[in-house]
Amino acid sequence: MPLEPIALLPAVVDLPFREGYVSSTIYVSLYVSVTAVTLSTLFSVPVAIVLGFTDFPGKQLVKSIINTGMGFPSVVVGLLVLFTVSNQGPLGPLDLIFTTEAMIMSQFVLATPPITAISLAAITGVSENVRDAARVLGGTRLDVALVVIKEARYGIATAVLAGFGRAISEVGSVLIVGGNITSAEGISKTRTLTTAIQLEARQGQYETAMVLGAILVALVLVVNAIVVRFGDTEAVNR
Amino acid sequence: MIRVSNVSHTYGDESVLETLSLSVEPGEVLGIIGPSGVGKTTLLRILSLFVQPSEGTIELDGRAAWSTDESERLALRRQIGMVFQEASLFDATVARNAEYGLRVRQPWSERIRDHLRSILGSSETAASATEALDVVGLSQKLEQEARSLSGGEAQRVAFARALAYDPKYLLLDEPTSDLDPRNTGLIEEAVLEARDRDIGVVVATHDMHQAERISDRVGVLLGDGFTEIGPTEAIFENPTDERTRRFISGELVY
Repeated sequence: MPLEPIALLPAVVDLPFREGYVSSTIYVSLYVSVTAVTLSTLFSVPVAIVLGFTDFPGKQLVKSIINTGMGFPSVVVGLLVLFTVSNQGPLGPLDLIFTTEAMIMSQFVLATPPITAISLAAITGVSENVRDAARVLGGTRLDVALVVIKEARYGIATAVLAGFGRAISEVGSVLIVGGNITSAEGISKTRTLTTAIQLEARQGQYETAMVLGAILVALVLVVNAIVVRFGDTEAVNR
Repeated sequence: MIRVSNVSHTYGDESVLETLSLSVEPGEVLGIIGPSGVGKTTLLRILSLFVQPSEGTIELDGRAAWSTDESERLALRRQIGMVFQEASLFDATVARNAEYGLRVRQPWSERIRDHLRSILGSSETAASATEALDVVGLSQKLEQEARSLSGGEAQRVAFARALAYDPKYLLLDEPTSDLDPRNTGLIEEAVLEARDRDIGVVVATHDMHQAERISDRVGVLLGDGFTEIGPTEAIFENPTDERTRRFISGELVY
């Protein structure tokens, strides 16, 4: 009896993933990182403005903490978020463990220090003369702050990009708090591109790992290209 | 009228100005001359209500600026324009720079609409901004990016930016010290144009000849106060104070 060739296919070619696996993994990766970076930007830029505009005792300490945060190991962040959202933790009742929300929390913590520090550098780089000009032309404090954000916009864009780069390429914390879970049908629940690569490589599925790796690199490249192009348009005007 | 009475100012222990008084009327140019570092900039920052003096009072048309609340002071501040030694333009087009003072005086709803229009590229430059740029001879460069201007052009835009919202008083801090003779001439003409619009102008300068050319009155700032203040001709032709005489004749060098 002749064998149906299609039935043999998995055994011969060994299709690396099931339908929906890659797209759902990309979706989870982007959803978690974009949300975390957006929230972090909304938090970090105002903090950077306050740090850039005001003097208060302990300001140097705050800046040191932020700078330390830039090099903070992601697995430790993951561990701290895990304690926070675990049953005994302060956020235990919310039942966030092994959810994308918990992953967003840990990426928020990871992305905030670089976004704040780079935005702060951009904001303090805006000439004091320009701030004075805004004020002397009749601007309120809010107007001056808006002028500074506008003058520092490329630096802030770089900061957001750096935060996104850290968030999307990070493995340790999302693995700990997310759990790298897929549904029985192979659809990602809390599996990101990075944790999928880690798992596939460990299982010896090197082709799959490399395909996923290429997708991750391509994603980061696309985001960078958008920002670089945006910067180039500016350079043309310059 | 801006009236400054018995103003003293110190930075830490260092006294910069001491019991100094002056007044500026609409439609006159008051030149403040003196060597670098004598406190001309401090005086202008006090006049612009940017800095509160350590002692003394400033009145704008009879209203004391520092014994009132913040919003009242903002209203007073908005009658004053100031140009710094450096142009300090915003990273935007010439037109957007010139319109800045007008924009911050608009209600937020109008500002947001204006911002959307500028993104869509359908905004029109406010007439008074174009007119102010015309005074400094730059109304043909509306859409040019400010950062592509030469130093002299940038300073002229800074002047137009302060003139555009039609202030009652205009304070200029060494406005031409970095400029070539042509741009200096254009700024000086613009100062006289502002005077003709009944604006009271204060020009701080270390260039005595410039003060003599454009001022109706001159104050000579030596040490931490005026050695003399009065009509330009009287000060230059016939100074009563010995230090003023020596400064003007170039004998007194700081």
